[in-house]
Amino acid sequence: MSAVSEYVTNIKDAVTSIFEGMAVTASHFMRKPYTVQYPDRMPVRVQDTLPFRYRGILEVDLEICTGCLACERACPIDCIVIVVDKDPQTRQMLLSQFDIDIAKCMYCGLCSEPCPTGSIHHTTEFEGADYSLESLIRRFVTDPVLAYKPKKGPETDTRIAPILNRGMTYLDQWAQPGGEKPAEEEPA
Amino acid sequence: MSTLHTEEMTLNMGPQHPSTHGVLRFVVRADGEVMREAIPDVGYLHRSIEKIAEKVGYHGFMPYTDRVDYVCAMFTNQGWGMACEKLAGIEVPHRGEYCRVIAAEFNRIASHLLSVGAMAMDIGAVTPFTHAIREREMINDLIEELCGARLTFNYMRIGGVAWDLPPGWREKALAYLDHFDPILEEYNALISWNKIYIERLANVGVITPAEAVNYNLVGPNLRACGIKWDIRKDIPYSVYPEFEFDVPIGDGHWGKLGDSMDRYVVRIREMAESSKILRQALQKIPGGPVLAKVARNFKPPAGECQIRLESGRGDMGWYLVSDGSGYPWRVHVRTGSFAAMGIIQKLSAGLMIADLVTLIASLDVIAPEIDR
Amino acid sequence: METLVQHLIASGAFGKNASPHLIAAIVVFIMSAVVFLGVAFPFAGIVSWAERRVWARIQSRVGPNRVGPQGFLQWLADGVKHVCKEDIIPDESDAPLFKMAPYLVMLAFTLPWAVMPFSSSLILADLNVGILYMTSVTALTVVGVLMAGWASNDKWSLIGGIRSAAQIVSYEIPAGLSIFPVVLMTGTLSMQGIIRAQGWAPQHWFLFANPFTFVAANILYISALAEGNRTPFDLPEAESELVAGFATEYSGMRYLFFFMAEWGNLFIIGAIIATLFLGGWQFPHVTKNVIAMNILEALTFNVKVLFLVFVSMWIRATLPRVRIDQLMTLCWKYFVPISFVNMIGTAVWVAIWPDGNSLMGYIMLAGAIALGAVFTQRVIYYLRRSRMEVYFNPTI
Repeated sequence: MSAVSEYVTNIKDAVTSIFEGMAVTASHFMRKPYTVQYPDRMPVRVQDTLPFRYRGILEVDLEICTGCLACERACPIDCIVIVVDKDPQTRQMLLSQFDIDIAKCMYCGLCSEPCPTGSIHHTTEFEGADYSLESLIRRFVTDPVLAYKPKKGPETDTRIAPILNRGMTYLDQWAQPGGEKPAEEEPA
Repeated sequence: MSTLHTEEMTLNMGPQHPSTHGVLRFVVRADGEVMREAIPDVGYLHRSIEKIAEKVGYHGFMPYTDRVDYVCAMFTNQGWGMACEKLAGIEVPHRGEYCRVIAAEFNRIASHLLSVGAMAMDIGAVTPFTHAIREREMINDLIEELCGARLTFNYMRIGGVAWDLPPGWREKALAYLDHFDPILEEYNALISWNKIYIERLANVGVITPAEAVNYNLVGPNLRACGIKWDIRKDIPYSVYPEFEFDVPIGDGHWGKLGDSMDRYVVRIREMAESSKILRQALQKIPGGPVLAKVARNFKPPAGECQIRLESGRGDMGWYLVSDGSGYPWRVHVRTGSFAAMGIIQKLSAGLMIADLVTLIASLDVIAPEIDR
Repeated sequence: METLVQHLIASGAFGKNASPHLIAAIVVFIMSAVVFLGVAFPFAGIVSWAERRVWARIQSRVGPNRVGPQGFLQWLADGVKHVCKEDIIPDESDAPLFKMAPYLVMLAFTLPWAVMPFSSSLILADLNVGILYMTSVTALTVVGVLMAGWASNDKWSLIGGIRSAAQIVSYEIPAGLSIFPVVLMTGTLSMQGIIRAQGWAPQHWFLFANPFTFVAANILYISALAEGNRTPFDLPEAESELVAGFATEYSGMRYLFFFMAEWGNLFIIGAIIATLFLGGWQFPHVTKNVIAMNILEALTFNVKVLFLVFVSMWIRATLPRVRIDQLMTLCWKYFVPISFVNMIGTAVWVAIWPDGNSLMGYIMLAGAIALGAVFTQRVIYYLRRSRMEVYFNPTI
């Protein structure tokens, strides 16, 4: 008897499970597709919809770079090349080269973490494809600039203050070791 | 009548193939549809990650651990963090542990979604894959807000995690879990209990419990044979003892115990369990710091340590030897997929070629994890 | 067709001494050209676009929507692309057989259009063995597929070709056996005869005439899907195992021929079911105008066939693939015995009620409507549970 009942059960299971499956797929006909039709049928640029912490292509704000080389040391893949030396006449630190090879960069964020001013930071840019490898080495220094000296009190230069603010806001996102700053989340 | 002279075919399911989960190669000796043997050939994805650790140092190795298993990147991050912490005796703050568990369990759901989706696609059903990927995209959006990346997270650091939960994230995560539970039921109705699917998976690639233990299988592959072994419960680490959850095991309901259907259903049930853990963690998360104080030039004392954790593929082991300098002496990762490759050759005798694809998919083999 | 030819001759359009046979031949050639080039081949192309859009909505995505309005010209773009590709013939392959195989498969797709009953007078040739002709020429695909698998000189293609041959040949049997109930009820094999034996209302369709024909219709539909290499029976071209099965070594237009034949076969499958079980082109007699009636009937036929094509696409998107030995089990252990039972049951039914039993028609129709209601309730249940945004618009 079990062979016959197995036969009938097989048919019944097949019909009912396929019926349920077809009902699920039929319900999908009436749902909005999840696709985002990038890049032309979007109300806002994608780059503006990404979260602030998004680890896109790196950018350096040279106005607030102190030349401390913390990012170069932290990078595990050696894609940052910085040349900073003391100018013999003015006795100030001079940045003469700051190259980031975004082809090598693995977008890990280890360089922006130790930066004291938030000068090197990730943007929400991710469209970096280009026709030549040379263009993938971003050279941020055109003429040698002075390294930034952080002041003891708040920054007074009106040109630099907003840049510094943005950099410090970016740095605030990172967890402070040992928890010197209060956590942003309310405990349950 | 004398017997007909037939020959065996030697086929090559080569490294470029639509269904071998990554870059794998199988040399298949088949007699028509039925296989005599399928010999796996690994190594196409070897990137010397363990050697790279000796060059980049402790902090710098964290992004490389993402690439060991890119589908379960949070677990590999956690493994490296735990190994260094154990060696140096660093304690992770309580809130940091909670953040780790939350990120890890979300990653487990994402990894299992990919696994069951890809398995359905290999069997021939094309829609469950896109549905699973859609759900995974929503998890990726959440994690993108949390740590800035969608696949190679680099979220954890030695001593905790790199970013705290952003404001409003907890509500979004709970809303996602409310959305996810009915979707999992719908997914089951679409494919898991489908008669054709059950017929394809039941009794295929049966692994007995003794074989599973002998071949070093871990994770859902092991639990599907009825052995209740989960590192989160048996060798507890992090804050898992504070949560209540079940460990699903296979029971041979649809075929023999330890067949592909058991492995598949264990993964589906594990997703539901992860959802439970996540709800508890998001409710109970305490305040405080998330990152312990660790020196920038981290030099753990000389010695060796080994940790184990339950990743999406199973028991992942991290072995670290330090010589007291700022660079590790030796790092080794033991992954579940490598052991699973070993058992394929034994199981493939007598299977059909279509079943080989099912077997590989059900063992949830991820190629970068095999070769590192 | 005959009435049309006689009408044309009687109207004197061709002059008084024109031979009727010549005129008939010319009319048939022109109509065949119109049907093949205007209906069959464009349909095979358009259904590829439609299939991608239908699949995409089931999979929560959009599908081609850039090339032309709503992506309608995508199939033309694909065709042009394939034509521009290099025609690769593998060195070690059997070149004459390799080249001939797609043409044989195309032949199997093209020949059934000769008996396609679009309306009461739009049929190229109303053979009195119409349905038998249709099922026998669709079996020509076996020859083409086997040739493709063998001549490719590729072990994977060979596996695909042999699987397909076994599958198509096996599923001929339930398909043929499921046609018998209808033949028993009408006593004729001609397509128009079968359609005329049904009425325009659903309770007069053969689908609802008795439970045996209902089951026979389902078995015929599934067997026709199996013959057309559609999922859940698309093992010969299983994408995830054999790349493209028997068509792996083909590129460019030769490759497209196989798939055009497969897509076009959807129409033929739909036409067979619509003719035999869904009442074909039958439409209530609302006007005396012959041309208007013909247009309405053709529309009815096309709507029924296109609905079945849509169901085929929907099934393909939902169900996983059946393994080759399970496929054989399904055919020989499930479909063939049940088809025999159907045949005998219908024979007994026809013996008891020679003129049909209209009460059964109403009962079966009520049962089908109840089934439809249960289905709709399940669909609404899943829609509500998922809490995803509801969106009825097929365009996006």
